[in-house]
Amino acid sequence: MDILLTLFWTFIKVNLLSTSGPASVGLLYHEAVGRFVTESQFVQAVGLASVLPGSDALQLAMYIGYAAGGIPGGLVALLGSILPPTIIILGVMMILHRIRREAWVGNFVEGLAPAISILMLFTAWKIFQKGGETSWMGWSIGILSLVAMWRKAPERIVVVIAGIIGIIFFSS
Amino acid sequence: MTKTKFLIWLRLLWMFLKVNLLSPSGPASVGLLYKESVGTIMSEESFVEAVGFSNVLPGSEALKLAMFVGFAAGGIPGVFTALLGAVLPPTIMMFVVSAILQQFQQEDWLQGFVKGMSPAIAALITMVAWELFHVGQTKKIGRRTLLIAGLSAIALWFEVPSPLVLLGAGILGVFLYR
Repeated sequence: MDILLTLFWTFIKVNLLSTSGPASVGLLYHEAVGRFVTESQFVQAVGLASVLPGSDALQLAMYIGYAAGGIPGGLVALLGSILPPTIIILGVMMILHRIRREAWVGNFVEGLAPAISILMLFTAWKIFQKGGETSWMGWSIGILSLVAMWRKAPERIVVVIAGIIGIIFFSS
Repeated sequence: MTKTKFLIWLRLLWMFLKVNLLSPSGPASVGLLYKESVGTIMSEESFVEAVGFSNVLPGSEALKLAMFVGFAAGGIPGVFTALLGAVLPPTIMMFVVSAILQQFQQEDWLQGFVKGMSPAIAALITMVAWELFHVGQTKKIGRRTLLIAGLSAIALWFEVPSPLVLLGAGILGVFLYR
């Protein structure tokens, strides 16, 4: 029961403090790894969320919730992710004409964006380090992926190829 | 009268099931959603407004857009129909895959897969970070954004809890961008 409440609260918090699914990864990492899932499971969650179609935020919630607390865990995490935007949007619709883009909510989110970017850079570095492959092989996969995505290669394909390279070279 | 309403809801549900099955993530679904909804259930103007609103409000982008489009087409019941359509496909798929994967956590090949994926995921996150930084700067390029970024970096370096850092950045934004 305790874990369900913690899951619920964590996902409410993460979804109130991030602007979109992919942007929530940084905060979610700090909140979930070590508490609900292992490092390896988190990487799997992010990988799968970018490979499977549909909202990343919901898929991350589903995976982490399920890994931590089975089916009830998944549902609770899902609920926690859906509630904040729903309540906020319903609120905005009710008073649509009073809240405009120059309102403080917009500025709050605008202030969030640079902080989220920095947090994500920290997270990227941690995931890279704890992935265990900081040899030249790990660096090349990282840099090649970055270049590929920079060149607009589809993310899901880059991630899957990197994983397959991992199966070939890193599984002993 | 009630029959036409019912048809609208059904159409909304189908549309969002389709959009969420075909697009890899929230932000990527905007283009597809545009083609599906503009002209048929809402005007271009209100679509642009919906995208604008989902950019300034916190939470998952796909869900926010779904709710706005649903509201434009079918009122409050439309909101929940669209929400259902947007939530079902990704979560059911993820549930099946994660349930299967939990059986293999100790397998060698999965460990290798994760090890190979880690650098790519780190690259992916870096890309998103860059895009976010860029989008945040569209109009007001410059010192304020850099100030918030710098302060966040210092705070995170000294291991201030990340929700606090984000909350602080948001509050700073309220004052700085006024």
